[in-house]
Amino acid sequence: MLKNLFRYLLPLLTLTVGMTACMDYGPLDEEHFESSPNGVFILCEGNFMYGNASLSYYSPQTRSLQNDIFSRANGIALGDVAQSMTLHNGLGYLVVNNSGVVFVIDPATFRVRGTLKGLISPRYVHFVSDTKAYVTDLYDARITVFNPLTLEITGHIPLNGHKSAEQMVQWGDSLFTNCWSYDNKILVIDTHTDQLIDSVEVGIQPTSLALDHNGKLWTVTDGGYKGNPFGHEAPSLWRIDARTLQIEQRYDFPMGDAPSEVTLNGSCDTLYYINRGIWRMPVTAATLPAAPFVPHRNTIFYGLGVDPRTSEVYVADAIDYVQPGVVYRFSADGTPLDTLRVGVTPGAFCFK
Amino acid sequence: MKHAVHTLRHVWSALLLIGVLSFLGLPTAAQERTLRTDAVTVRAQRALRDIGAQKTPLDTSILHENITHSLADILSQNSSIFIKSYGRGTLATASLRGTAPSHTQVTWNGMKLNSPMLGMVDFSLIPSYLIDEAAVYHGASSVEVTGGGLGGAVALGTRPARKQEGWDLRFVQGISSFNTYDEFLRVGWGNHHWQSSTRVYYVTSKNDFPYTNYRKKEYETNAAGEIVGFRYPEERNRNGEYQDFHVVQDLTYDTGNGNRWGLSAWYLSSRRGVPMLNVDYKTDSRSTNRQDENTLRLVAGWERLRSQLKLAARAGYTYTDLGYHYWGDPGGDEPLVEMIRSRSFLNTVYGAFDADYYLGQKWLFTARLTANQHFVRSSDRTVTSSSGGTANVGYDEARFELSGLLGVKYRPTERVGVGLDLREELWGRNVTPLIPALFVDVLLSRRGNLLLKASAARNYRYPTLNDLYFQPGGNDSLRTERGWTYDAGLEFTLGDLRLEQHRVGFRAEVTAYNSWIDDWIAWLPTFKGFWSPVNVRKVHSYGLETKARLAADLGRGWRLGLDGNFAITHSINHGDPQSWADESIGKQLVYIPVYSAAVTGRLAWRGWTLLYQWSYYSERYTTSSNETTSQLGVLSPYFMNDLSLEKAFRFRWADLSLKASVNNLFNEAYESVLSRPMPGRNYGLFISLAPRWGQ
Repeated sequence: MLKNLFRYLLPLLTLTVGMTACMDYGPLDEEHFESSPNGVFILCEGNFMYGNASLSYYSPQTRSLQNDIFSRANGIALGDVAQSMTLHNGLGYLVVNNSGVVFVIDPATFRVRGTLKGLISPRYVHFVSDTKAYVTDLYDARITVFNPLTLEITGHIPLNGHKSAEQMVQWGDSLFTNCWSYDNKILVIDTHTDQLIDSVEVGIQPTSLALDHNGKLWTVTDGGYKGNPFGHEAPSLWRIDARTLQIEQRYDFPMGDAPSEVTLNGSCDTLYYINRGIWRMPVTAATLPAAPFVPHRNTIFYGLGVDPRTSEVYVADAIDYVQPGVVYRFSADGTPLDTLRVGVTPGAFCFK
Repeated sequence: MKHAVHTLRHVWSALLLIGVLSFLGLPTAAQERTLRTDAVTVRAQRALRDIGAQKTPLDTSILHENITHSLADILSQNSSIFIKSYGRGTLATASLRGTAPSHTQVTWNGMKLNSPMLGMVDFSLIPSYLIDEAAVYHGASSVEVTGGGLGGAVALGTRPARKQEGWDLRFVQGISSFNTYDEFLRVGWGNHHWQSSTRVYYVTSKNDFPYTNYRKKEYETNAAGEIVGFRYPEERNRNGEYQDFHVVQDLTYDTGNGNRWGLSAWYLSSRRGVPMLNVDYKTDSRSTNRQDENTLRLVAGWERLRSQLKLAARAGYTYTDLGYHYWGDPGGDEPLVEMIRSRSFLNTVYGAFDADYYLGQKWLFTARLTANQHFVRSSDRTVTSSSGGTANVGYDEARFELSGLLGVKYRPTERVGVGLDLREELWGRNVTPLIPALFVDVLLSRRGNLLLKASAARNYRYPTLNDLYFQPGGNDSLRTERGWTYDAGLEFTLGDLRLEQHRVGFRAEVTAYNSWIDDWIAWLPTFKGFWSPVNVRKVHSYGLETKARLAADLGRGWRLGLDGNFAITHSINHGDPQSWADESIGKQLVYIPVYSAAVTGRLAWRGWTLLYQWSYYSERYTTSSNETTSQLGVLSPYFMNDLSLEKAFRFRWADLSLKASVNNLFNEAYESVLSRPMPGRNYGLFISLAPRWGQ
C-alpha cells in the first residue's frame, strides 16, 4: 500500500510544488523626477471603479512626455477618476473624484506633499486666498471649505436644495459655480461670508463655466436627454454679466448637438468649446462660429485645454475609453504640433 | 519580460499537469492488463441525447463539497469557465470561451436565470450547496438548452434527495474567518408517491478581512508638516458585509403510472455592501452603499415517462426586486441621507413544453417550446423634475420571448452518431434567424473508448432590456449579436473511474474550438456625454479546453482522486477601429486570461478526506489595447491554493462529519480585479450532522 501511495503522491507533490508560485503583487516601483518649469499636466480619469487614473506631464519645449508620473514618483496609485488639478502657491492640488481625496503635489518632483480627506465625491478646487479654498462635490450638497496651509476642513457652504456643484470662477468677492446634474442654475457665493447669496437660471444642465476679461461668465448646457424628467431641450451657450447677473446673450445649438468644456485662452478674450470638433470665437462675437477650429475625425473629444502663455490648444481623445488615450496639440492658429499617447480617458489639463 | 517569463512558467505548469496526469494514468492501463485479463471493457452506450455534446457535468459531491462555496467557486475550479470575481462575497461573472457574462445562459429546472434587464447572472449569489445537478454546455451544445448561449450554457437543477421513505435531515454549521457564519438545514420526506426536500441556507459575514494596502501610503510628517516617512497602511475590507438567505423547496408526486408532478420554489434575500476600492480615501462614516435583492422563483412541472416517449410541461414565475442605495453625509450631526436609490422590479411568467420520442434504439426526436413574458420597471434614481417635483429616471417595459427547438439524434451504428438541432427565437416583435446546431461523434476505438466529438452552430443573442431602454443611453435600434462556433475534441477513458470494476480509472478530454461573434454589443460613450450600447465589436475567440480525471484505489482503504482542467482562451477584438489611434484591434479582450488551469486532489482513507485545490490563471489586461507599460495595465498571474481535511463518523444514530479548511494557504496578497482587495489566509470549521432515523 505504502508503495502505491508513494507512487502516486510523489509526482503529485512534485506537481504541487511546481505549480505553486507566488503572485507578483506588492509596492509599486518609485522613480525620481525633476520636471521642466513650463509644461502641462494631463489628467487621465481612468475607468470608474477601476482605480486606474493617471497623471502625465508634457513639456512643449522639449516635446517630452512622461506618463503615469504620480504613481511612478510616489509608489502609490492615483486612484479612481482623476477629475481636475489646480496650481496654487507653487503646489498642485489634484482632485481624485471617486477616491474622495485631494492630493497636494510638488509640481517639479510630482511627490505628494499632503492629502485632503473627509470628502465624498470631490470635483474642483478653487482658491479664495492662501488660507481658504473651496471644493465642490457631486454627492455632497455643500461646498467644502478648507485651509490649504493646514489641509484641514474649516467649514461647509449649504447649497439651498441644489444637490451638487461643479466648476468655480471668481469675480471680485463673488464666486460662481454651475449646478450640472439635473439642474439649471449658476449659484453665487459670497467669499467673505461663505454663504450662498444668489443664483441665475440658465438652460438644462450647465456643464462648465468660465470668466472672460470683461467680467462676463460663460456657461454651456447639454440640454439633458430624451426621456430626462428634468427636461430635454436644445443645448445652448450663455453669456452672463458677473456684476449684474443679467443674461446678456444666449446662443442656441441645434437639437442633438453636445457642446461642452467652455475654456478661455490666456488673455481671456477667446472662447473655446467642444461640439464634436473644437470651436472658438471671440468673447465679443454676436453669433456662434460657422466653421470649427479643429474638425472632428471620428473621435470623441473628451477634454480641452488652452495654454495661457501660448494659446496653444490641447485636445484629448479617449478613443474607446478602455485604452490609453491620445492628446493632440495645436498651435494658436490650429496647426497640428504634436500627438501624445497618455493614460486611459484623458479629460483635464493643468498648465504649469 | 517579466510577463513573458510568467507566461512560459504557466505553460510549463500546464504541460506538467497534463504530463503528470498522463504519467499517473498510463501505467494504469498496464496495471489493468495484469490485474484483469478482460482488460477492455466497453462502457454502456452513450446517451443519444449527448451525441457530439461538449458538456462538463459537475457531480453532486463537488457541488456539495463545502457550504461556503458559491457556484462561482465550483465553476472556476471544475470547468474551463473563467470567473471574474470582484472580491469575497461580491459580484462574480462568468466568461465561457472568452465571451461576455451575458453570453453564458443559465437555467434552473429549465427556467432561465439570466436577468432580462442585465443579461447576466451573478454566480456569487448561487450557493453550490443548494444545487443538485449542474452541467456546463460549451458552445454549440448549449443550443439544446437555450438560445443565446454564444459562449455556452449552464443548466442547474434541484430535486428531492432520492427515492426515500420517511424523514431525512441534515444540518451544517460553518464558522469561518471574518465573522462568517453559514447555516444549512435540509429536511427531506418521502413515501411511495411523494418526495419533498426543503432547504434553508443562511450566511452572514462581516467580511472585514485585513490587508496591507500597497496602493496607499500613510505619511509621517514633522512639526512643520513636511513628509518625513511613510508606511503602507494595514486596512480592512470596508463596506463588504453581506447576508444571504435562501429557501429551496422541491416537491414531487409520482403517480406510479409514469406521470410525475413537481413543484420547485427558490426564494433569495440578499443584502450586500459594495466593498470600497483600495484607492478609496472616503471615511466609512461619511458615505455607504448597499445592494439588495429579493427573488422568488417558482416552477411547477409535469412529466410523463414512457419507454419511447417523454413529455414534460412546466409553468413558472419569477419576481425580482433589486435595489442599490447610496447614503451620504448631509453635514453637521445629521444621520446619513439616501442620495441614490436605484430600484428595479422584474416579473416574469414562464411556460415550457418538451417532448422526446425514441424511435427504436437509433433515433431520438426532440421538440421544445419555451415562452417568457417579462415586465420590468427600472428606476435608476429620483431627481427633481422640470416642474420642481420628483421624478424617476428609468423605464417601464414588457417583452414577450418565445424559443422553439426541433432536434433529431441518430446513431446508425454503434460507432457513429449524428445530431441536428434547429432553434428559432422570438423577442418582442423581432425574430432571430434560424439557429442550427450540428453534432457528430465517432467511436474511434473501443479500446479506451476513444471518442471523437464535433459540433457547430450559428447562434444569436438578442439585446437585454437595459440595452434597449436604459435611461439615458438605451438604444432601441440594436441588432441581435450573431455567433458562429465550431469545435472538435477527443476523449478517452481507461479503467473505471468509479473504481467498481478496476482499481484505477482515467479519463481525459481535449477540445479545440473556434468562434466568431459579430455585432457584439458594447456600451460606448457618445457625444452627449453618457454611454450607449452599440453593435460594434467583432470578436474571434479560439482555444483549447482539456480535462482529465484520475481515480485510484491504492489499497487498504486509500483512495486517490485527481481532477484537472486547463484552457487556452484567445478572445480577440476584430471590430472596426474607432479612429486611427485605436490600438485595440487584434488584442485580447479586457480581463480574459489566455491560460487558466485548476487541479483538485482528493485523498481518502477510512472516513478521512484530504482535499487540495489549486487554481491558476494568467495575466489579464485592464486596457483594450493590452497596454503593458503602465503599472496598472496588467494584473499578474493568479495562483491559489486551498486545503481542507474532513473526518466522517458513522454512528448508529447519526452521520457526523467535521471539516477544517484553509483558503489561500500561502497567504498571498493579491488583486484579482484592479483595486479590489482580497483576503489573505483564512480558515473555516464545519460540522455536519445527519440523524439516521428509521435506517
